[in-house]
Amino acid sequence: MPSNDTLRANDRGGGNEQCNYIRQSDRVYEHRESQATAMTVDYTGQWILLAGRRHLALQRLGEDGDEVCLRKYNTNSKYEVSAAEFAICPESKESCAIATSQHIDVVTWGAAEPRYIHSLRGHTRMVTDIDWHGKNPNLLVSCSIDTFSHIWDLRDSRKPTLSFSAVCMSGATQVGFNRVSGNLLAAAHDGDLRIWDIRKGSCPIHYITAHQNRVHGINWSHRRETCLATASQDGTVKYFDINNPRRAEKIITTTSPVWRARYTPIGNGLVSIVVPHLGRGENSLLLWSNSKQNDPVCSFVGHTDVILDFAWRPNRENQMEIELVTWSRDRTLRVWKIDDKMLKCCEPENDTNENYDICTQSRVGTPTKFQPPYCSSFQRVPVFRSQPVAVSLPVERADNVHNTIISRSPTLIATSARSSAHRYREETAVARSLTDQPTCSLHHEFSLLNTNMPHVEVDTLDAIKRFAMFNISAGGHVAVLHITFPTDYPSPNNSPEFEFCDGTTMHEPLSRVMLKVLRTNALQRVKKSRTCLEQCLRALVAAMKKSGGGSEKSHVRLQSPRLEGALSGALHDACIPFPRTSAATFNSVGMLCSFTQTLNTKRLTLRHQNITPRTLWATNGGGLLGNVMGEQPMLYAHRDSNASFYLQDRMTSKHSKNRSIQKANHSTAIVQIYECNKLLNISRVMASEYSLDKTDIIATCRKNRLVCENQGRYDLLPIWTMAEMIATPNVPLRKTKLSKMVLNEDPFKKALLESLIMHYAAVGDLQTSVILACLFHPGVANGYTGVASINGAPSGNAHGHGKIPILTPNTSPYHTVLPIDSHVSNSNKGTTNAIQLRSSSWSDSLDCVDSKFANNEMWSLSLIRRSKIPLFDHFKKLYAEILYGWQLLTTRSLILKHTVMLKCPRQGVEFVTECSGCNKTKRTPACGACQRPVLFCALCRIPVKGAANACLSCGHGGHFMHMKQWFEKHNVCASGCGCQCLQETDFLLECVK
Amino acid sequence: MVSLINTIDTGHEDMIHNAVLDYYGMHLATCSSDGSVKIFDVKNRNQVLVADLKGHQGPVWQVAWAHPKFGNILASCSYDRKVIVWKEGGANDWTKLYEYSNHDSSVNSVAFAPSEYGLMLACGSSDGSISILTCNTEYGVWDCKKIPNAHTIGCNAVTWCPSTVPEPAFDQKSSTRSAGIKRLASGGCDNCVKIWREESDRWVEESRLEAHSDWVRDVAWAPSIGLPRSQIASASQDRHVIIWNSTDFTTWSPTILHTFDDVVWSVSWSMTGNILAVTGGDNKVTLWKENNENQWTCINDDASVAGGQQSEQRTL
Repeated sequence: MPSNDTLRANDRGGGNEQCNYIRQSDRVYEHRESQATAMTVDYTGQWILLAGRRHLALQRLGEDGDEVCLRKYNTNSKYEVSAAEFAICPESKESCAIATSQHIDVVTWGAAEPRYIHSLRGHTRMVTDIDWHGKNPNLLVSCSIDTFSHIWDLRDSRKPTLSFSAVCMSGATQVGFNRVSGNLLAAAHDGDLRIWDIRKGSCPIHYITAHQNRVHGINWSHRRETCLATASQDGTVKYFDINNPRRAEKIITTTSPVWRARYTPIGNGLVSIVVPHLGRGENSLLLWSNSKQNDPVCSFVGHTDVILDFAWRPNRENQMEIELVTWSRDRTLRVWKIDDKMLKCCEPENDTNENYDICTQSRVGTPTKFQPPYCSSFQRVPVFRSQPVAVSLPVERADNVHNTIISRSPTLIATSARSSAHRYREETAVARSLTDQPTCSLHHEFSLLNTNMPHVEVDTLDAIKRFAMFNISAGGHVAVLHITFPTDYPSPNNSPEFEFCDGTTMHEPLSRVMLKVLRTNALQRVKKSRTCLEQCLRALVAAMKKSGGGSEKSHVRLQSPRLEGALSGALHDACIPFPRTSAATFNSVGMLCSFTQTLNTKRLTLRHQNITPRTLWATNGGGLLGNVMGEQPMLYAHRDSNASFYLQDRMTSKHSKNRSIQKANHSTAIVQIYECNKLLNISRVMASEYSLDKTDIIATCRKNRLVCENQGRYDLLPIWTMAEMIATPNVPLRKTKLSKMVLNEDPFKKALLESLIMHYAAVGDLQTSVILACLFHPGVANGYTGVASINGAPSGNAHGHGKIPILTPNTSPYHTVLPIDSHVSNSNKGTTNAIQLRSSSWSDSLDCVDSKFANNEMWSLSLIRRSKIPLFDHFKKLYAEILYGWQLLTTRSLILKHTVMLKCPRQGVEFVTECSGCNKTKRTPACGACQRPVLFCALCRIPVKGAANACLSCGHGGHFMHMKQWFEKHNVCASGCGCQCLQETDFLLECVK
Repeated sequence: MVSLINTIDTGHEDMIHNAVLDYYGMHLATCSSDGSVKIFDVKNRNQVLVADLKGHQGPVWQVAWAHPKFGNILASCSYDRKVIVWKEGGANDWTKLYEYSNHDSSVNSVAFAPSEYGLMLACGSSDGSISILTCNTEYGVWDCKKIPNAHTIGCNAVTWCPSTVPEPAFDQKSSTRSAGIKRLASGGCDNCVKIWREESDRWVEESRLEAHSDWVRDVAWAPSIGLPRSQIASASQDRHVIIWNSTDFTTWSPTILHTFDDVVWSVSWSMTGNILAVTGGDNKVTLWKENNENQWTCINDDASVAGGQQSEQRTL
């Protein structure tokens, strides 16, 4: 295990009061030919997987230096491996998940070949990170640029068991299961974190606005369930407690972007990778104490290039022995031992403070004090163990208070603190100027590139050699585009170089035009130091289509019109529900209108889902970022014919006449209107035919029974028979009040009638219910249905009325004026309450007593209990609305006359209308102040503009024609106020004369 | 049970997203992704296009008719973040009465309030807020109230509580003053159905109904015939339709109507509130009825509306 590093002058002790070790790696493995982009350590800590585009390599980490075991498997994938993770549960320790492009392969390692166990397909864009569940060996989570985080259960790997959709325009870059409970999940989208609970729902339980810039690393604490650390492009590592998502608990600030930050599996530390600038990779791996953020505890030096990833190598025999494995772009794999001393330096010095919120003021502590109170396993092991293998280089500063640690290594170097501090400062200055690290951003740009772009096929993306190849076919041409990115790209005047290679079918002048398009577009972007690749490709496709002539014009036309302004369509689309393709709505008179349209391209948009997507942007097959990054924000009707069902709809509708009829099914937007009256037990015909003649309820019941029979409602026949029986007195007919009382006091009948009405209301047969309720409605309506000559009716029921001797309006001594209802008074003496007499001298209080008295009388004779009346009135009101919709205005008014609630208020029956303009009651047909008519037709309820007719007595009236129709058949007011309009008006007119 | 009485080829250039009959069943309004709203005269099996309303710059999601006592008024909401209220001035002469563009994202739902409250409509938008627009009909002045952040991520549907819903303690006296309290229900991307009550100029959240596990796509408050109970149907992306029952507006008990094969995105009650029409991503129309044992059964399984439709189309 040759450590072929030349050890550099570790002349930096850090200009601070705290200890700062500098470590060289313990072991180094070189893989010159490897292009691995992902690295992971297996459960046993024996094997390290280096995964790259061309091959997967397994490196065995023997304890003894002699065995260098490397196994290599060629894969030759088109895409880079974006993430690889060994399972972390002992049950599944052979499994390893490798993410390439949009897919994740789960692989186990046999003796010879990797065996592909599962291929997890569900993401539509590049997978950016994978994490295994810490407890359940079958679960793993993956996140992708497509903004989804999918949880996969390997027992059913066909589709994700759970999908979390972050409604945002930035893809997920990192994801991590909670290490303690395993129920929480953190996903990073740009600078924000979303915390999900896998047990419930599709909403994040917390949003954390963590960083100003992209989050590169998420790591949950191994001990505290709600804590996690994030590393970000903005150069900070933040510790969050998700219970307090507003504020980071602690912040480590560095001058360069931080690529990863991970808690140490034991102890209280955290290791971060700072993305270095080119060629200066020494100080990029730092160990921090969780309790003090101003200085790292240790820095690991040796790598000469960017560290791509690191992992903890567990030692299954000795839990206290951990090693750090790092893989760098310098193509070396290094192993570093984390010894007790370092871990101890990470411990909070104040052991009584369990919250770790330690001030950074150092206090000399005795070694025993470093034992963490919360980590029992730590306490079991000896604090000082011998470290024979470590080639550590602890550099002590002269003023270091923790200099109990002796350098065991004979090699090197203790130099002046001053010079180290100086150099350190110098370097940080450089680092600041190059925060946006170029190689990193090209890699990043490639990873964000929409590989599903219409007409564009990605051939090669090589961030290391800094070039890319694309095959573009549009407008009848094929172009093979080679793009080389200068090292300073993207910065002003450093636009990529474009070149058409062999295979391009465009003729010379055209390709020159195309190159110009590319350059102009690139220049525009790089001028602002922005990346330009995707924009250039889109511009090229557009230009090629244009050159291809009119054949593609339909695409342009078919796009829904764009919105003005800088509305980012895709961003909004993500939270706009998927458009309905079908609907069915009832209207207020029992008609149902429905339409359904089949999505032709359902299989396209739903490749990975069994159900219809929920958001609008699912209609855009390209994915989300493609839209955002496009030249102009698009509405969801996508240009790509494959993804747009709108286009297909159009195409088929255009040609449907020539084509098969089945095609037309899908395309045309046809609305069906259904008559559902049967279903709803409501019939217009029956409504108009039902009789409400109360002079002879028995006969009316028979008549209504006939109506039902004629209309095919045989189920109602027994009901009307029963109603007839209810109406029939069960004692021999005696024309006395007593018999009437006996009749209507019959408790069985009352209960039966009420339950009948309630039953039909409850099952939705409102019509039957209302007609029954109206027919047996007591009181007022009896006298005013317009059906005269009750005396002539033989029915005992009706007859009884005439025999009630007390309290008719005429007998009231307070009514000094207008005995206008005289002709009915002898037949309707029991119904005084309803008669709204106008009287110049009546006293309200006395009248009230009067009518109350009468009321009681009336209700005592009623078959319907008084307490039920308001409810039944609601039924009638609703039924009246339906009748209004059918324009059966007369019937509607008749129904409403059988209500108590809708009667005119008691204050009088003057022509009083409230003007909705000034809210004052007006006694004139028009409001003088507002200059608008206030008369509403009593029949149709529409304001009367033209010919109007109103009762001079009660003031109700309406359209001339309506009034005329009404009074042809009736002589009482249509509003139900009880006024004998014709006579009263006559009388008044006579008085005027 | 159900008879097809009319089939209208809307002639829209793109998908249609909603089709609604007016109060009388004489006019049909449809809206489409082509940005237009069309009104058809469907009286006596007619199908005459009487108006093609163009005013939206994006797909129009939903249309709603106002009660005819305000005249022929139609509201439409669109992806272009606007709500437009249309009015028929003369015969078949439709003009824009009012345009409301105070939403920051697509407006997904419009619903007119019960006519007793005046000309009033609620709109739910993907910006998460709900707007309540009230028109002072004689001055033509519109007033707007907004419930900001009603649903995180977005509001997908709004529906009004019928005005005739009686008070909890139902008796003769209180019933007369029960009509005053306005309520509406909304469903959104936070998987919740929320009930809002107007309290002296403000809308406050009265209850929050949580049982869905995914976006709520539609809510419909059942028309009340006066029985002292309230019913709300909600359809969700999680393929469930849930019926919420309450007698006092505070406790709502959910009943899962059915788990459908695909997402459900529209529910509609019949006018007596006993039949529920449900449609979803599978483009099937199902009608549901509650039997005496309080179980919901599909009543068009065999001779279904959808089936009838298909055969109808086949014969076209």
